Amino acid sequence: MVALSWRSPAGSDRRWLSRVLPLLVLLVLAALIALPSLSAFAGQAASGELFYYPCSSCHPVTMVPGTERPTRLLPNDFTGHKIVLVGHDKLGEDDVACLTCHDDPSRDPGKLKIAGGKLIDIKGDVSQVCYRCHSTQYKLWKAGDHGKGKPKCTAAGCHDPHTPGWIYAQPLQPFIGSGFQFRVLSQREAFSPLAPPAPAPAVDTPPWFRVIVVLGLVALGVQIVRLVLGRRKQ
Amino acid sequence: MAVALVTTPRPGVKHFIGIDFDFGALKNSGRRYWGFIAVLGTFIVLGGAAWLLYFTHGGSVMAMRDGSPWGLWFTNYMYYVGLAAGGLVVYASVHLFGAEQFRPLSRIAVLLAGVFVMMALLGIITDMERPWRAVWMLLTPNPTSPFVYTGSAAGIYMVICFVDLWILITGFGGEKLARRMTLIALPVAIYLHTTTAFVLSMNKSRELWHTAMMVPIFLSSAIASGIALLLISAYVLTKVTDIRFKPSMFRSLSTLLSTVMIIDLFLITVDVLSVFWPTSASSGHTLRFAEFLSGRYAWAFLPVLILGFGAFALLSRRKTRHLPAVQITASVMYVVAVLFKRYSLMAMGFSYTTLGQKLPIYFPSAAEVFLALGILAFGMLILTVGVKVLPMEVPEYEDAEVTSL
Repeated sequence: MVALSWRSPAGSDRRWLSRVLPLLVLLVLAALIALPSLSAFAGQAASGELFYYPCSSCHPVTMVPGTERPTRLLPNDFTGHKIVLVGHDKLGEDDVACLTCHDDPSRDPGKLKIAGGKLIDIKGDVSQVCYRCHSTQYKLWKAGDHGKGKPKCTAAGCHDPHTPGWIYAQPLQPFIGSGFQFRVLSQREAFSPLAPPAPAPAVDTPPWFRVIVVLGLVALGVQIVRLVLGRRKQ
Repeated sequence: MAVALVTTPRPGVKHFIGIDFDFGALKNSGRRYWGFIAVLGTFIVLGGAAWLLYFTHGGSVMAMRDGSPWGLWFTNYMYYVGLAAGGLVVYASVHLFGAEQFRPLSRIAVLLAGVFVMMALLGIITDMERPWRAVWMLLTPNPTSPFVYTGSAAGIYMVICFVDLWILITGFGGEKLARRMTLIALPVAIYLHTTTAFVLSMNKSRELWHTAMMVPIFLSSAIASGIALLLISAYVLTKVTDIRFKPSMFRSLSTLLSTVMIIDLFLITVDVLSVFWPTSASSGHTLRFAEFLSGRYAWAFLPVLILGFGAFALLSRRKTRHLPAVQITASVMYVVAVLFKRYSLMAMGFSYTTLGQKLPIYFPSAAEVFLALGILAFGMLILTVGVKVLPMEVPEYEDAEVTSL
């Protein structure tokens, strides 16, 4: 038989424990509630940053070879990103512009084409993609002349890769580790999918249901009053 | 030595599937009993009307939208599945570990477990809007969906609970079969709670759900709230029936409760710390969790901490721990705390979209609330009638039988 009892060794210890334990409990509780005030230091939670995940981590977009059909259907009939290109619109129209850099034969947007036709992961040093056309600026940047005095980052850490004329207010960290999150620190209207979602449709509550609910609540009120009064009589 | 059961037939007692159903007890019940049944009946009617609304109007009558596709029903699913855990822990501790002080509670514990899992399943079925489509889940299950595993586990667990109850009441197979059933029920229960936690933790894109801590926290909260509910039910039984329990049983139960509570609170504290610890904090995590400690959802999460730690503080005082008022207050506090915890847990995945878009706060619609209340009332009705009609009291001689084995 298992004895389920909680014994303290001595009476004095019990008294000590009974005084200290509630205090400890309160301290832990207060510490937990105070944690968000530390969060600005901890993870810059209060800065209003927006986050998104590399979609291809969970939803690899690959086409069936020789077709325009994705191997897996995407949610909500999603077919592609709508990204504004200013300056880079000269690369072509629609998919042609995208495929200039995202030129993986499997059309995985997580792969980028660098000089020599080699593919790199979007989590890698994406500046090498810029080098394909902007070799002069790239070399200057590598030498430290371009972007002098600015924190050293990848080229795409300062320029929006889709519209290079847009400069981030703070340098953008490259993908780190698994590339689990990508930080967008821009004062402009950020990435279009990050805009607030459209307002959800209002809840529909038809009149007949409202009438039933009101009648039901009245009946409940009467029953509960009778229950309470019945108890008093007893 | 086995002792044969000798009963004196009473008017209104119907013998069916080896159980004496005492329908006569219903006839002799007072006006207040029937008044309570009427209250439950009214809630069931309102719940039925809400379900009818689901059929006729579809999802537009619910507050669940694209951003928060799971709502009150999922909160209740997690909550009820968890509450069912307490019954099994007590039942298993009697038949596997010989904790004889809990034997008088074994029947009510198993009944509670079965009914609460049934309520959890009713939540899934009613949410479907077209419940007959559930057949397709059985015929063409998606093996990558944790819902397939938790849903089927809940169904199996419910059947096991009711079979267990039948075995306990009829004494069929004796202590040996009861023990064997526990050996089946315990792994199924762990599987059920684990797969329910997997529904959340397998979502890689929802940061606050995607934690390895989810399964142990889910288990500990489930067991703590389940034991708390059992303790409350035991007190209610002593008030409304002739069943009596020893004070030592309540002491043991509250000691067990406080032990599980502190484990549960410890795990929550560790989980929160790992989110906010300066060197390990990830911005997405802190941004989302701050909503629950000081933001829009603080009203839902702070009660988890305040009521949880408060309940433990109440039970931690040795001088007062044995008092029924303290035990009941602490138990009620923890049961309510876990309800808030389940709501917070559901909301943690939907406060932001996976793209980082802030979503409006989710509050259930009237139809969702009344449907949930209807399901709760239906479960309460089964318990209220079951306690009256079924022989819930464990006869004294069973103790003698067990000790002689």
